[in-house]
Amino acid sequence: MIQLRDISKSFNGNEVVHNLSLEIPQGKTVVLIGPSGCGKSTLLRLMIGLLWPEKGSISLFQKELSKSNVENLRQQVGFVLQDGGLFPHMTAVQNMRLMADYLQHDPKKIEDRIAELCELTHISSDLLKHYPGELSGGQVQRVALMRALMLDPQILFLDEPLGALDPLNRVSLQEEMKTIFSRLGKTVVLVTHDMGEAASLADLIVIMKDGYLLQYDTLSNLSAQPADPFVTEFINAQRKPWQQLEDQIK
Amino acid sequence: MRNLTLYACLVLCFLLVDSAQAESASAIRIGSKKFTESVILSEMITQHLQSNNISATHKDQLGGTRLLWKALVQGELDIYPDYTGTIIYEILQGDAISSDADIKTALARYGVSMTDPLGFNNTYALGVTPSTARRLSLEKISDLRQYPELRFGFTNEFMDREDGWPSLRGHYQLPQTAVRGLDHDLAYKGLEAGSIDLIDLYSTDAEIAYYQLSVLEDDANYFPDYRAVILYRTDLLDRVPEVQTYLTQLDGIISETEMIKMNSDVKLDGYSEAEVAQSFLKVKFNTLSEIKVSTRLDRLITTTSEHLFLVCLSLGAAILVAIPLGIWGARNSTTGQVILSVVGIIQTIPSLALLVFMIPLLGIGGPPALVALFLYSLLPIVRNTLSGLTGLPVDVQESARALGLPPAAQLRLIELPLAAPSILAGIKTSAVINVGTATLGALIGAGGYGQPILTGIRLDDTSLILEGAIPAAVLALLVQWSFDFAERTLLSPGLQRKQESTS
Repeated sequence: MIQLRDISKSFNGNEVVHNLSLEIPQGKTVVLIGPSGCGKSTLLRLMIGLLWPEKGSISLFQKELSKSNVENLRQQVGFVLQDGGLFPHMTAVQNMRLMADYLQHDPKKIEDRIAELCELTHISSDLLKHYPGELSGGQVQRVALMRALMLDPQILFLDEPLGALDPLNRVSLQEEMKTIFSRLGKTVVLVTHDMGEAASLADLIVIMKDGYLLQYDTLSNLSAQPADPFVTEFINAQRKPWQQLEDQIK
Repeated sequence: MRNLTLYACLVLCFLLVDSAQAESASAIRIGSKKFTESVILSEMITQHLQSNNISATHKDQLGGTRLLWKALVQGELDIYPDYTGTIIYEILQGDAISSDADIKTALARYGVSMTDPLGFNNTYALGVTPSTARRLSLEKISDLRQYPELRFGFTNEFMDREDGWPSLRGHYQLPQTAVRGLDHDLAYKGLEAGSIDLIDLYSTDAEIAYYQLSVLEDDANYFPDYRAVILYRTDLLDRVPEVQTYLTQLDGIISETEMIKMNSDVKLDGYSEAEVAQSFLKVKFNTLSEIKVSTRLDRLITTTSEHLFLVCLSLGAAILVAIPLGIWGARNSTTGQVILSVVGIIQTIPSLALLVFMIPLLGIGGPPALVALFLYSLLPIVRNTLSGLTGLPVDVQESARALGLPPAAQLRLIELPLAAPSILAGIKTSAVINVGTATLGALIGAGGYGQPILTGIRLDDTSLILEGAIPAAVLALLVQWSFDFAERTLLSPGLQRKQESTS
């Protein structure tokens, strides 16, 4: 579904992604994870042409991404940012309809789609009349997800979609997203630095460090056959507090 | 649809400017400088031609000598009155001239002719209050050498004229250094209030008698004669040959006493220049020309429409140019810097200077004022458009691109609506500044609220000054309010809430 071949990317002469290749299969949820500055968000932006690599090529739907087809390809994918990236001058529903209206889709179909998405994300249609400034963080992320799903894209890109939420909202939206992803069967690429989130959502996990792909595998394989000591270190780092607590209770 | 209406309005406005110009092109245009005597003389010439069935319009109180001369040579005016001394030293400076025939020869090079003198000599003189004269026993200009502490206040024109202060100082070896330039009509007030000790006078000024000023004797024969004459474009005689006859009829008919009386009738007794000129012509030629008596309301309607015309058209054009410039600048930071510097430099040109620069290109009246106001309106709008667009949050810009909107649609649907509060604020700033600056348009014949202010200063008539100043202030407030209203109605409620929460 998505293919990256020998990608390198620099900012101001600093290479932040080194000669990286990756293939993301259809219908899977793939999580890009790693410490801050490892290049995971850059990689995500390269996949939808918000950034362009110096070397290598990227294909979506077997089509090589280029400046001439990027707008067309972007219309076939969905993108959710950490803060939602909703347009503050439009109501939630206007945000959702923007592209469908721009592409002059049938209004009846648009209405139906909105109703469908409300049901999917448990958002009331009344809430959609509000402007983003009047919504809570969790509501904003739900609306952003609905906007991304509006045109029924084959691929969904999410850049730390839960990063700005408080822990309670985080857990509940994470559970919901899990249900939504499995119901829709889309290809999902999600960036996070939270191992718990990755463990809960991912079919496959990409562990990155300093612009290199360390390992690309299922969680159990990462745990059982780490390709690098850092993989184990990274997985365990986030488990540690809980393990210590469990040990104390025992 | 809204754009179409806007364009239709602009086209209409341009047609109006055009037709206004066409109308004045067929009539003979007589100009006057911004002092009473010049206005009376031009009014007299205008009425005299009109009563002989020649179409003529008076473009009154346009400015100083250089402006009127330029306008005459450029063909923006056909006729205006001036003085021999001024012509020799200010206009033809450098040419060796000893007689009226020499002047005529020199003027012919510019395609300009001169009538014989109208009769009176209105020379420059220096005056002090009677008490100063008594206290320091001042009688002659040379007496001033003993009092270097005296403060002089001269007209701005006198300050740098060939026959003005610099060479007067050299001629008499005067030591004074506290010398400043100010408006002639305000100089009398300054003298009376004691903030200056000596001013330059025109010898036919009505105020000399009114304030009982002591006129210092020109004991070293510095000042030349300033005999009033009429200058006109020689090609006027090809268009309207009979004009020469009527201009010649005015030769030698005004004595010095008569001129002082007429100045006094206007400045001290409150008659209009038109009335004074009319009664003079009645005595001399037994003609009664029609003069338009305008009520305050008539004038207010005229000045308001002139002012609105200047402001709306120049601001409208500035919006149409500045927003695209701002968008262009926001796309590329180098281009943006260049654009901002250029419009910034324009902004630093003093408004009067900019108005005068426009005259060789566009003549006098509405067009140069419109262009100057247009140029002044650019900076706030360009700057706010540019900063509004470049200051958009990164996540919003990113998600607009990620949705797959082409750049033009991103601009129209996302970036411009989000930058709208900033752009609107820029337009508001421009509009308020524009309302104020447009009052200067009166100096080059564009009318507006500046006209009564200018006349009011000249005639020392506070009610006339207020007739321009109050509506200008009210208009500025109305502009402010209407933009506040527009902000509330045009801007998305989503943005207003955001503004409230951050303010």
